[in-house]
Amino acid sequence: MMILNTLLLVAAPALSPASTPPPQGVMALKVGRAETVSDGSVLHAVILIEDGKITMVGEDLPIERGIPVIDLGPDSVVIPGLVNAYSRQGMDSRGGSGSEPGNRASSELYPAYEDYSELLDAGITTLGLYPAGNGIPGRAVAVRTKGDTREEMILKDDAYLKVILQASGSSKKMIRDGFEKADKWIEKEQKEREKWEKDKEKADKKKKDDDKDKDAKDAGPGPYVAPDKDPEAEAFLALRAKELRALISIDTAAEYLHLVDAIGKEEFDWDLRIPIQRESNVFYVAEMVGKRGCRVVMDPVLSLHPNTMRQRNLPNEFAKAGAKLVLTPRSDSTSDNVDWLTDVGGLVTAGLPPKVALRAMTLEPAEVLGLGDRLGSISAGKDANLVFFDRDPFEPGVRPVAVMLEGQIVSGEVN
Amino acid sequence: MKLLHTKRAAFAAVLVATFGVSLGARALAFDDEEKKGDESEEAEDKSVPEEEKTAWFAVTHADIYTGTGEILRDATLLAKDGKIVEIGYDVDIPGRDYYTDVPEEKRDFRVDVLDAQGMRVYPGLVAISSSGLLGTGGDFRDSIDPFSSNMVLGLAAGITTTGQGRSAVKLKRYVPHEPPLPYDFDGIVVRDDAFASMSLSSGAAKRSLIEKFQRASQYLREYRQWEIDVKKDKELKEPDKKGVDGTVLEVLEGRVYPMFRAAERADLLNVARLAQEFGFRPVIDDCREGWTVADELGRAGAFAILSARDRRDKDESLVREGGSSIENAAILSAAGVQVAIVPESKGVALDGIVGRDIMHLPIEVDFAVRGGLSEALAVDSITRIPARMMGIGHRVGSLEVGKDCDLIVTDGDLLHYQTFVQYTVIDGELVYDKQQELYFAHIRPRPEVELAPAAKLDAGEDAPAEEPKDDAKDEDREEGEGGE
Repeated sequence: MMILNTLLLVAAPALSPASTPPPQGVMALKVGRAETVSDGSVLHAVILIEDGKITMVGEDLPIERGIPVIDLGPDSVVIPGLVNAYSRQGMDSRGGSGSEPGNRASSELYPAYEDYSELLDAGITTLGLYPAGNGIPGRAVAVRTKGDTREEMILKDDAYLKVILQASGSSKKMIRDGFEKADKWIEKEQKEREKWEKDKEKADKKKKDDDKDKDAKDAGPGPYVAPDKDPEAEAFLALRAKELRALISIDTAAEYLHLVDAIGKEEFDWDLRIPIQRESNVFYVAEMVGKRGCRVVMDPVLSLHPNTMRQRNLPNEFAKAGAKLVLTPRSDSTSDNVDWLTDVGGLVTAGLPPKVALRAMTLEPAEVLGLGDRLGSISAGKDANLVFFDRDPFEPGVRPVAVMLEGQIVSGEVN
Repeated sequence: MKLLHTKRAAFAAVLVATFGVSLGARALAFDDEEKKGDESEEAEDKSVPEEEKTAWFAVTHADIYTGTGEILRDATLLAKDGKIVEIGYDVDIPGRDYYTDVPEEKRDFRVDVLDAQGMRVYPGLVAISSSGLLGTGGDFRDSIDPFSSNMVLGLAAGITTTGQGRSAVKLKRYVPHEPPLPYDFDGIVVRDDAFASMSLSSGAAKRSLIEKFQRASQYLREYRQWEIDVKKDKELKEPDKKGVDGTVLEVLEGRVYPMFRAAERADLLNVARLAQEFGFRPVIDDCREGWTVADELGRAGAFAILSARDRRDKDESLVREGGSSIENAAILSAAGVQVAIVPESKGVALDGIVGRDIMHLPIEVDFAVRGGLSEALAVDSITRIPARMMGIGHRVGSLEVGKDCDLIVTDGDLLHYQTFVQYTVIDGELVYDKQQELYFAHIRPRPEVELAPAAKLDAGEDAPAEEPKDDAKDEDREEGEGGE
């Protein structure tokens, strides 16, 4: 019944102008198989799109007459637009090594960068671009891979705060100092507020006394204005308030312990970035990270057990331990971005469940960017970012047939 | 007055009773445990979080070489929260000898028992200096790698504490628990600033150091006088501390030992004279020609760090004795110098010739034994003495009640070349098990069962099946008895 209602609603605007529907209007897609990520696979799927948003997904839904239908054929597969949450494509600044949580990667965004279209062709519809540097280089920005201006590209500024933690006193201190600065600001703010309240009380009293004489010259201290936050205090206050999340980069198992030590009792949302080196030993903390249940951003590569030639599938180990896996391309080069699906296919061959793999390229990275409610799955209410294939996407060398960005076909052709 | 006396007598009687019944430390441990027990009864059914549980650790059936001269055969060592609480016989272990009826999940303690039947327990070895076992340096609380393979190799060598840089640090590995416990970063550093490095190498350095000692000892004299005088005249000002070197002052107050690097006779005599003049005990690193001036060093109360198989000819232009000697450690020890022995290379070397790096401390001291050092002193030179030099002798270096539970379990005499460290324990936690690491597990693997299973007494005719099931066993026996 609900389905019918929605269908009618969808159909209503399409009926009136009879012919040419507006380009951002209503549209139905018929696909052999839809990998929704959020609700499993749907065979013979129909996806309804209105104004760039997905309004409904289901198996063999009836489509109202008049709605333009794109039928991709029985062998077609559709997946959500890929989200590479950890990239520096098109950015060229060099960062420092200090704590600069006020920096925004959005300030170096360059929409004319030519390779964005190649990424889009490869099915990557969203990028998380992070600022360069060590220490705390700043905040990442989430962008569409298409747009002529920065405004057109930017989906969300302050997607996450990038932090690089190393096993050193200075690095751990950077995190502790940040929260200390936040504490100091709170203290300062409290003092100023008290002072303002006192001033106000005084002024009010004076006003009462002076009332009889003339209109008050001294209008009191005016409305309360909180003291300025310096960018560090601001960022760490935002972390604490959970308005900002952190993506913390570590290399080794030891660094995870140091991270837990540096964070201490502070509570904020954080995910991990663990680049996989040839002989990484991070598997020592897989259980701990899994118990925490945070996201782990990894590269789709197999590594070796230290001092041996024994292969390990660390992304799979972390996923099994309970961590939410997020995958990036093998490197940040354009060609590796284009070959992303093939590389992840390699992990799938080595044992990573395909559903987990797909989720790690779509919904989980969207969550890292704080856009999980808008991107990353084929479900009602989300942006119509879709990638179409004519066979299983994890088969080697597969390229998308077409790519849709917010309801518009932006790459390839469909009929 | 009389009343008071009787009260006192009664009190003494109670004390005697307590000690008589259950030997000091155990009584304490028991009391503690009982208190805890009461608390948990009040807090009914609330399971205690893992990190708040009391951690008991016991080694049983071991020949315990305490490092203080005693050897206890087939004895038990019990530690509570990383400190030794009892060494001896008839030791009661919670969870095994009492509190056995408390189910695992309701316990406010956890207990690990290591059966070391047929093996020996020694104090964990103390390397006076090493490099690369822990991390990059600086403050180890912020740089240690508790997963590094070098640390595992250090533990395999029996080292539990090492001097690195100026700190004395424990080789605490991360031990997985269920549920996981956070790593105790504060527990690794036994002492920061364990040494005060000093130099007498050049004329200028010598002059300036002597001046510092003169100034500091003058200040100390003034200060002590002031301490006496101020009782009479409260207005009296404290003596001026200007120009007093803080480190030198600490040395004179005996809070830290100064470390000098001196190999040759003349330099060694300089150190000894300075030490006797100002009354401090020097640690002498690389004490190669120490044997030629052993008496002087002994009188100065010196500590010596040396390598037992250093080989260097003496300066040919001199008539006097010189150069290195395999008897160095023995001669120095006989003269009252406390000797710590180090290998030629202080890191973990996985190439070149085996046996010259930090992984072979016990073999290193064998060369000193060959030169006449007693075996007991040889063990001291890699346990108690280096611990004393770093000012941490009250915590590590020997197995005594109250000290840290840092120990190694070996399959033979520590100084024998064939001996392997089977287990290493730090702060009452098993951090190394030879069979669990890939490095030495394949060499003379530890048998799964130490003793042959008890022979079955069976006079009956019926040949028993190869391996009767546990359930079946009792029935068999009953039947057998019935038959008789």
